[in-house]
Amino acid sequence: MTALDLIRAELTQILSDKGAAMGEITPDTPLLDGPLDIDSLDLATLVVALEEKTGKTPFAGGFVLFHTAGELAALFDA
Amino acid sequence: MRKSSMRNLAASGFVLIGPDGDQSLAPASGNGPYTVDVTQMGAAGLIRALLGDGDVYAVRDPSAPPVIEPGEGRIHLQTSGTTGTPKWRAHEIAKLTQDLFAGSAPARWLLTFNPGSFAGVQVILSALIGGHVLIAPPYEASVAEMADLAMQHQATHISGTPTFWRAFLMALGDRPLDLKAVTLGGEAADQAILDALRQRFPKAALRHIYATTEAGRVLTVSDGCEGFPLSLLTDRLTLSEHGTLCVGGLDTGDVVEIVGDRVLFRGRLDSMVNIGGVKVFPETVEAFILQHPGVQDVRVASRPNPITGHVLTADMVLKPFADQNAVKAHLQGLPRAQRPVMTRFVETLPTGQTGKKLR
Repeated sequence: MTALDLIRAELTQILSDKGAAMGEITPDTPLLDGPLDIDSLDLATLVVALEEKTGKTPFAGGFVLFHTAGELAALFDA
Repeated sequence: MRKSSMRNLAASGFVLIGPDGDQSLAPASGNGPYTVDVTQMGAAGLIRALLGDGDVYAVRDPSAPPVIEPGEGRIHLQTSGTTGTPKWRAHEIAKLTQDLFAGSAPARWLLTFNPGSFAGVQVILSALIGGHVLIAPPYEASVAEMADLAMQHQATHISGTPTFWRAFLMALGDRPLDLKAVTLGGEAADQAILDALRQRFPKAALRHIYATTEAGRVLTVSDGCEGFPLSLLTDRLTLSEHGTLCVGGLDTGDVVEIVGDRVLFRGRLDSMVNIGGVKVFPETVEAFILQHPGVQDVRVASRPNPITGHVLTADMVLKPFADQNAVKAHLQGLPRAQRPVMTRFVETLPTGQTGKKLR
């Protein structure tokens, strides 16, 4: 499973848990202020889930800027 | 010559039930000071040293050996060392026993604390000066072993941390145990555990104690309600500008909140984390989760997060047959920032030598 697949699966879970609508997620989909109904705490939850499932901690050295699902996936695929 | 206060105070009738049954209480031989490695010699070794002449040094972490000085009438204890290397602290035994309530009716104390801890020594001294029975489990015994010993020797008096009591209630099950005194200390007692203990031991005197390393015992609350009455905030007990409790002007680092006529503990100031701009105490979240009847115990921890600064995670121990989904649904009752983003169901929670949850 690629990191983008993981992001899709986790976001689906997060959105369904809060009863929000699910849309298509492409590498260009913005994570905040985009079509998805998620806030910073949802995004924090997503990052923890990715860290747990990949065993990688790309933010261990500090924050790395990302906007889209693809940019976040790249951090975990690296 | 029997000089120091300890020997005079050790009342007749005192019996030590150790791992191998009733134990000899011959005083330690030779002259003190005595160094007792409690990891090897346990409560029995400590008591024999207390009955000898001279100061006693109770070692529970051999990596920080004591600097022995001649003296008498004192017990030297290591701090629990949850933050760095343990430090040594001397306590006048006469002063310690002064603050204890020995009780006149015969009691059978179960020692749940490390014998070399401040709380452990208080239990040992209570039993000694009252001429009571002390049931001392093997060193670092499990709570299940302690529950079996409490049953086998029919303990009447037990003092432990809230973390201990949650596990003890579960390990004891519905076996008949007629406790006369139930005491909680070392961590803030939440209403859920107080209610559970009141229901399980309706005839017992239920007390929770607030103590600090510097001031010793500060408050004893016996009304079965969490926190303490607002009327106790006086000259000695005050609030700092950070909302922390001060004892005699010394900041304890314990954040409290006044709710009606009650002062409630919210958590340690140094455990507070900022989650997306909201200040959150892991202890407060734990108290909320413990309100669910299916949860035996929980540890909430924070971890750094690139988006919100921190997030919370929760390790939960469920009671048998508890419904995981019902517990997860209960978590949804927490405000967003306080809601753990990751939960795990585990068998046990790690505790330190103090019997408190590790943070």
